[in-house]
Amino acid sequence: MRGFRRALAGAGLLVAAATARAQDARLAQRLDKPTYVAVNAIVDSARVAKLPTAPLVDKALEGAAKGSDGQKIVFAVHQLSVRMTSARHVLGATSSPDEIKAAATALDNGVSDRDLARVKSAGGKRPVTMPLAVLTDLIGRQVPIATATSLVVQLAKSGIKDPDLALFQRNVRADIDRGADPTVAATTRARGLVARGNPPATKPAQ
Amino acid sequence: MRDDDNVKIKDVARALREPVRIDASFNERVMRAVRDLPKHSRLSFWRRWSMPRTITVSPLGASLVAASLVVFALVGLWHVSDDIDRAAKPIAKAIFPSKVAPDQHVQFVLVAPDAKKVAVVGDFNGWDASHSAYQAQHRGGGVWSVMAPVPVGHHRYSFVVDDSLWVADPSAPRVVDNDFGMTNSAIVVEEQR
Repeated sequence: MRGFRRALAGAGLLVAAATARAQDARLAQRLDKPTYVAVNAIVDSARVAKLPTAPLVDKALEGAAKGSDGQKIVFAVHQLSVRMTSARHVLGATSSPDEIKAAATALDNGVSDRDLARVKSAGGKRPVTMPLAVLTDLIGRQVPIATATSLVVQLAKSGIKDPDLALFQRNVRADIDRGADPTVAATTRARGLVARGNPPATKPAQ
Repeated sequence: MRDDDNVKIKDVARALREPVRIDASFNERVMRAVRDLPKHSRLSFWRRWSMPRTITVSPLGASLVAASLVVFALVGLWHVSDDIDRAAKPIAKAIFPSKVAPDQHVQFVLVAPDAKKVAVVGDFNGWDASHSAYQAQHRGGGVWSVMAPVPVGHHRYSFVVDDSLWVADPSAPRVVDNDFGMTNSAIVVEEQR
């Protein structure tokens, strides 16, 4: 009986040790105690849900670096975990952490779950990290979300490779910097790229 | 002869069955003798921990401990796998140089004529503006640049000018940050083939 009690006590200690995970030491250094505890709880939940936790830690560190208060940081980290959950649901369980992160960023910039699914579907089996980064950039440069999504979907369907997508983004940015209308610049560049097929990436027109 | 033996045995048994008469002071004498015994010395802390002992464990108890160890190892591995991913990369890189994608070196450039200090912060350096590898150097004409290591993947970043002004990279994709109110830049670093 005494041996059994010892075994039970040992099992209890082991279970307690299993729940005390190694947390990112940087969070403890850069966040105040209540914020640290709250962020850790969100990170723990994400880990249990098998979501990537690094983006959540990065978001908290970003908030600390930008001097945001604890409440704002906790809210931002929580919102990101919600967006990553949606992103993973839309992209599928086999999506990479980078894809989930890029998709969560796109959702934060106004892209809908439906549009996200369209981009994913257009990309086929290829990772959609770059297409989503380009989509987010176009939206940030005032290209309407519907137009930006359609263009990126069109480019992905045409099999445009990541280096050419990056080149497309740089060319659109250069056009806008020179005074072009964002929608016109994006549409024209996308049509040109699709018409040419999938040429090797060249230097942006600056 | 046998009858004689039986009588003797019965006599002995009867004598043994008779109650033992103890005088009234017996208990007191016993307790006094006990109190006079030398006191049991307490074991020192170190002795208590180092003294060999026999521990008895039931098969059920031993099985529970073994099962707990297995559960601990599995749960622990599952829980910390994401956390140790970054920390383990340098080690894995040293052991399996061809299996782990090396950090790519990315050139960050910002034109900031009035700046006295420019640093790059982002997901790749914990948003730490004091990180020595991400301090841009003034190349003349207001151009600041740094060639810094960035892991393969999707990252958000920004420039910090003079430790106070946050500036998005004008040459990179934008990420409007609705959380902390400052626009970041995005970079997707791919493995060089």
